[in-house]
Amino acid sequence: MTFLLRCVLICVSLVLTVYVLGRIRHSKMRIEDSIFWVMFSMLLVVFSVFPKVADFISSLVGTYSTANFIFTLMIFILLTKVFFQSIKISQLERRVTELIQMLALDKEEAIEKEEHKL
Amino acid sequence: MTDRVLVVIPAYNEALNIERVVGEVIENYPMYDYVIINDGSTDNTAKICRKHGWKIIDLPMNLGLAGAFQTGLKYAHRKGYGYAIQFDGDGQHRPEFILPMKEKMDQGYDIVIGSRFVTEKKPRSLRMLGSRLLSGAIWFTTGVKVNDPTSGMRMFSRKMIKEFADGLNYGPEPDTISYLIRHGARVGEIPVIMDERILGESYLNPLNAAKYMGKMLFSILLVQSFRIRDRR
Repeated sequence: MTFLLRCVLICVSLVLTVYVLGRIRHSKMRIEDSIFWVMFSMLLVVFSVFPKVADFISSLVGTYSTANFIFTLMIFILLTKVFFQSIKISQLERRVTELIQMLALDKEEAIEKEEHKL
Repeated sequence: MTDRVLVVIPAYNEALNIERVVGEVIENYPMYDYVIINDGSTDNTAKICRKHGWKIIDLPMNLGLAGAFQTGLKYAHRKGYGYAIQFDGDGQHRPEFILPMKEKMDQGYDIVIGSRFVTEKKPRSLRMLGSRLLSGAIWFTTGVKVNDPTSGMRMFSRKMIKEFADGLNYGPEPDTISYLIRHGARVGEIPVIMDERILGESYLNPLNAAKYMGKMLFSILLVQSFRIRDRR
C-alpha cells in the first residue's frame, strides 16, 4: 500500500463518518437506521488507520491475503444489509397497500352511509 | 347476505370496455351484486362509472391486479358475502357462467375455476405450453389436476374470501391456488367459454408472459412448499 493510497483511504473513511454523523445530528435519519452506517464507517476508519488490525484478523481467519479478507467481509456485510432492506421494503409496500385499500373502502362506506341518510 | 354473489370487477384503464362489460352484468343479471375496483386508472374509467351511478371503489393509487382484487374481497368480507367472483373488466368473461359456478361451489368446493379446457382440448400453442407446465406443476405438488390454472375467472367461498382479504401473498394467481389446495381447499372447475379481449391492449406480450411463467413455476414448485399458513 502506497503512502498516498493510505492517505486517501483515511480521508475518505473520515469524511464518510463525519457526513453520517452530521446527517444524524440534523435528524435526517432515524437513529436505529443510522447505527449500521456509524459502525460501518468507523470500521472503515479503523481499517484505514490501523491496517495491521485487518492483517491480524485476516491471518486469524486464514484468508490468502488481507485484501481478500476485506473484500469478503464487505461483500458479506453489504449483502446482509441489502437482504434486510428487501424485507423492510416488502413490509412497507404491504403497509402502503393496506392503507390505500382501507382508504378506498372507508370512503366507499362513508358515501353509502350518506346515501342511507337521505 | 350469505348466499349473495359479489362480482368483483378490477378495472385499470378500461374506459373502452367498462361500459359494455359492466352494463351487461347489471342489466341482465340483477341478482348479483357487483363492485368495480378502479385501480388508479389514468383514463376516465371512474368518470364513466360515476356517470352511470355504478358502485365503484376508487383506489387512489395503482396497486396492480392483486391489490385491486384483494380490495374487492375485503369489501366482500366487510359486507359478509358468501361468494365472490373475479370478473375481468375487459370483456373476456361471460356473466352467464356465474350461476353454474355458484352451483358447482354449492357442491362443497372452496374455489371454482371457470375453465376453458375441461371438455375441450388445449390447442398446441406456445401459450398453452405455459398453461400445461403450470397444470403439471400444480399436479406435481398437490396431486390435483387443474385444467386451466391461468383462467382469471375464479369464484371464492366465504372461507376463502376471509383468507384472501387478510393475507399477504394472496394474489389471484395459480401459485395461490396451489398453495390453497395444499392446505386443504377444494378446487372445482366448470367449462366456460371466454371471448377475446374486446378493445385495448393486453399487457401480455411474449416477454411478460415468459416472465410470468417463470415466476409462477418457481413459486409453485419451490416457494409455496415452505410457506407457513398464518391462521388468524
